Amino acid sequence: MGEMEELRKEMENLKDQITAARKTFQDTTLQEAASGVTVVGRVQLKTRKTLRGHLAKIYAMHWGTDSTLCVSASQDGKLIVWDSITTNKVNAIPLKSSWVMTCAYAPSGNLVACGGLDNMCSIYNLKGKDGNVKVMRELAAHTGYLSCCRFLSDTEIITSSGDCTCVLWDIETGTEKMVFAGHQGDCMSLGVSPDFKFFISGACDFTAKLWDIREAQCRQTFSGHESDINAIGFFPNGNAVITGSDDATCKLYDLRADQELITYQDSSIMCGVTSLAASKSGRLLLAGHDDFNVNIWDMLKSERVGVLAGHDNRVSCIGVSSDGMACCTGSWDSFLKIWN
Amino acid sequence: MMSGSTQEEEELPVNHTGPKGVINDWRRFKLDSLDQTVPQSKKELLRQMSSPREDDKERLNRKMSVQEYEMIQEEDERCLKHYRKQCMQEMHERLSFCPAFEEVYELESGDAFLEVIENEHRLTLVIVHVYQPGVKGCEQLNSCLDCLALEYSSIKFCRIDAVAAGASERFTPEVLPALLVYKASELLGHFLAVTKHFNEDFFATDVEGFLNEYGLLPKKEFTACADDEDEGEDVE
Repeated sequence: MGEMEELRKEMENLKDQITAARKTFQDTTLQEAASGVTVVGRVQLKTRKTLRGHLAKIYAMHWGTDSTLCVSASQDGKLIVWDSITTNKVNAIPLKSSWVMTCAYAPSGNLVACGGLDNMCSIYNLKGKDGNVKVMRELAAHTGYLSCCRFLSDTEIITSSGDCTCVLWDIETGTEKMVFAGHQGDCMSLGVSPDFKFFISGACDFTAKLWDIREAQCRQTFSGHESDINAIGFFPNGNAVITGSDDATCKLYDLRADQELITYQDSSIMCGVTSLAASKSGRLLLAGHDDFNVNIWDMLKSERVGVLAGHDNRVSCIGVSSDGMACCTGSWDSFLKIWN
Repeated sequence: MMSGSTQEEEELPVNHTGPKGVINDWRRFKLDSLDQTVPQSKKELLRQMSSPREDDKERLNRKMSVQEYEMIQEEDERCLKHYRKQCMQEMHERLSFCPAFEEVYELESGDAFLEVIENEHRLTLVIVHVYQPGVKGCEQLNSCLDCLALEYSSIKFCRIDAVAAGASERFTPEVLPALLVYKASELLGHFLAVTKHFNEDFFATDVEGFLNEYGLLPKKEFTACADDEDEGEDVE
């Protein structure tokens, strides 16, 4: 037992040293740096479209890069590809498992992927020759649920899993190219950097990790959250990371400063954050909570500037389009809404 | 954002959204399922996993147990359909249980205004019309709200004279009529000079449509698909 105690002490010591080293580089706080900026003012978004067609709670959604098409995954065991402008269903894809946790749209628009309690990531080809949408690959190797997936291209996809690892797959061969191990708890979410060289993962060990995709190495680890990190995303310029946690807060970590810049919290908010999306400029952060409410934050001033869908708390997932023109929310009552 | 209600306190604390939401939905499905293939011992495991003990640090980082992974199998579609309907019905019921109102309430003072904002049921939407007699649009808006108050009985519509509220400095005639929307003491919507969004002549439906755009009114329709489950999905 003596040795364990010593090792534990050493670890705590190292952690303190790292924290101290980070602090010596801190020459200002975000609040000070942004003190000259005027507050954004109340943000009130309007519903522009309602997407009807699912039969149960929407678990996840993801925008295509054209900012028009988006894909949603529901408890009804279907993936639906929508044209958010006409509200038409472009594809309705039946899944083998109803317990789907994530869905993703490839940047090319040719493929969509999903996964969940089946521990697999299934890739679907939307542009098959005969017009039918079929399973193209089933990427199976994870020993835990598939919490999130994001395409790098039509040939590569990254997944995060309840088995505590993330994996980079070769879609054509259906094999694992790299395994990213290091988290001490289930991986819940991932985000790919704008330049596609890095990705970030948030896990139930309360940390976020930055990974170099080609070197398969963890470059940076960010702590501070007091509970599981459920949602994660890159700040639009790629230099910072936004996390959402069961501790009811969101945090902004700067990659170059290697530390937390700010925590978005309010004593009246007691419910965990389970989804998040930043506006294209990075000025606004939409944080989706587990009680189906969405808070809108001014990221610079760290002030709450609004809520989304005020009347009934219904939002189960959110996503902002890449052109920044719209936000999409999925709800527990089977609808998706487009807001701006 | 409120942490609990009398209904929620009786339930185990679970996640509703994200991957953990899926895991908990699956656990509930296995526990409640009409499907008889889940033996009692497994049900006990599911109940235990639904509420992890605070002191079990190792377990906290892992959200699903090995035994649970083994329980995942193809499920009976009929059971699933029943479960989904049940889920949505429960959510609707949870949100519809709240006090009912029939008319627009006149708030006589600033104190009365605060009282309403802070003390209504946490699920009750409060919509306050700030007006001043003689200001254009106020009387018209009042009539519209009289209509909407009858149609949306779960919403507490109120009106207050800006002068009576002692707020005539902040609510000058240029920003009137104003609509303020609150729930559980939280300001959800704030619309000054709200009539600038309408035509010269506007009606209850215009005000209704406006509030709907911001997601502020309760849905009048029950989810469209709850009864249409047997229709085949068109796969284009």
